[in-house]
Formats: sequence, structure tokens, C-alpha cells
Amino acid sequence: MYPWKRRAGWWLRNPRFLLFQAREAGGFVSALFGLLLLYMLVRYHEGVASYDAFLAMLSTPVALTVLALLFAFVMVHALTWFLLIGKAQPIRFTKKPLRAGTVFAINIVLWVLVSGAVLFVVFGGL
Amino acid sequence: MAGEDADWNPGRTAIHANPKTLAKRPAVLFEPMLWGIFSLGGFITAFLLPVTIVVLFFAVPLGLWPAARVDHDAIARGFEDLLVRLFWFVLIGGSLFHGMHRLRHSLVDAGLKKLEPLLNVVLYGVAILGTLGALWYTILFDAPLPFR
Repeated sequence: MYPWKRRAGWWLRNPRFLLFQAREAGGFVSALFGLLLLYMLVRYHEGVASYDAFLAMLSTPVALTVLALLFAFVMVHALTWFLLIGKAQPIRFTKKPLRAGTVFAINIVLWVLVSGAVLFVVFGGL
Repeated sequence: MAGEDADWNPGRTAIHANPKTLAKRPAVLFEPMLWGIFSLGGFITAFLLPVTIVVLFFAVPLGLWPAARVDHDAIARGFEDLLVRLFWFVLIGGSLFHGMHRLRHSLVDAGLKKLEPLLNVVLYGVAILGTLGALWYTILFDAPLPFR
């Protein structure tokens, strides 16, 4: 029996592995956004001037570029998570498992609906 | 098989469903719970985070929305609704547990097995403290005194 070991850079050799790693990175980036949102609440509680300064800091071209790059990872994470649900199917409503593509499509529809609900309930609508 | 990697051998250990053998092993309780929270955080993050980022950080600078939609007064109006407070709490807590659990496993897989105890303390510590911070800043900051 030999000890199991992956080669360095194994995830660069196959697009599927690369996408897997991008989702893993996206999970970590999501936590960074979680910390950013927590910091936003701290600045909110400090008052109007502090909160406005926080938003202004994130509106510079450099900050927007960094945020856009990180947001790309969040989107990869979300979309590949929906793909994953179709394959894992932790919850089943039917006797036989649904096709992965069908589950992915259902999740995309749900995602649009949930995003709309967040837009209206949390941010007051369009 | 000898060497420093001998004890790092995922997936190669035979699992025996023998009740006598199983009874001697400590019950695995914490690990499945962490993976459960990770999975829940993944759902929360995938469904709620993208729209939140777009509205908060991109819509105003790109001219899609007036600044008043995400200013201090707008956030304050949202905080009058318990559902909105819960939204911020669940989003922050869920993303922190999801991301930190993932990072911990990625770093251990990358070879930092010896640092596992330190990673557990630091990364789960960030997730727990961040979630407690979110609880304070969303729910408890203006709660009656016994809850503060």
C-alpha cells in the first residue's frame, strides 16, 4: 500500500478540476464578503458619516475592479453549487431522482425568484 | 508506506461494519454537524449573496440605482423589519461558516495537516466570532437589557 498523494498543480490539468477549485475559492471569497458585510454593519452603527465613507471607499475604480473580480468567484460558486445539487440531490420529492439538468433549471428559477424577493423585502423594490 | 505521510491516507482505510469494532470507536458527531452547517451556508450563500453584492456595491456606482436606495436611512428603514435583520444575520453567519470550513479543508488537503489544530481554532474562531458579531449588530444591539 502506498501513501496517497496528489501532484502539485493537479487542478490545472483538467477544466473540470479547475472549475472545482474555482468553486472552492468562491466559497472562501463568500466568507470574505461575509466579513465585508459585517464591517458594513459596524460602520452603519457608527453613524451616517462613517457609513457614507465606507460606501465611498468601495466606489473607487480600484475597489470596484477588485470587487468585480471577487464577485466573479461568487457567481462561479453559486452556479456550480446549483449544478452540484442536481447531481447530489440531498432532498427528493419524486420516487426517482430528477435529471441533473432539470434540477439545475429549477434552481435557476428559484434563484431568480429569491433574488427578486430580496430586492423587494430587503432593499425596497426596484 | 513509512514516512511522514503514513497517517495521511484518506479513503484508503477499510471500514468494518462490525458492531464490536464500531463500539470501541468514539462517536463521530461534530464532523457531520460541521458539514451540515457548511452545506446550509452554501445554499444561503448561493441564493442570497449575488443579489446583495450587486445592489449594495455595484448598482449605485454604475448608475443603475439612486444612492438613496442603499444609504444610511434606507438601511435603518430595513432594520425596522425583523425579517430584514434575520436576513443580514443568516447571510453573514452562513457565508462565514461555509467559507471557513471550506478553507480549513483546502489547507489541510494542500499539506498543512500538522497545523490542523491551529487552523481549527483560527478559522472556526473567525466563523463563530463573526456570527456572534452579526447577531449583535442585527438583532441584539437595541434589544431589551436582559438580552444585551
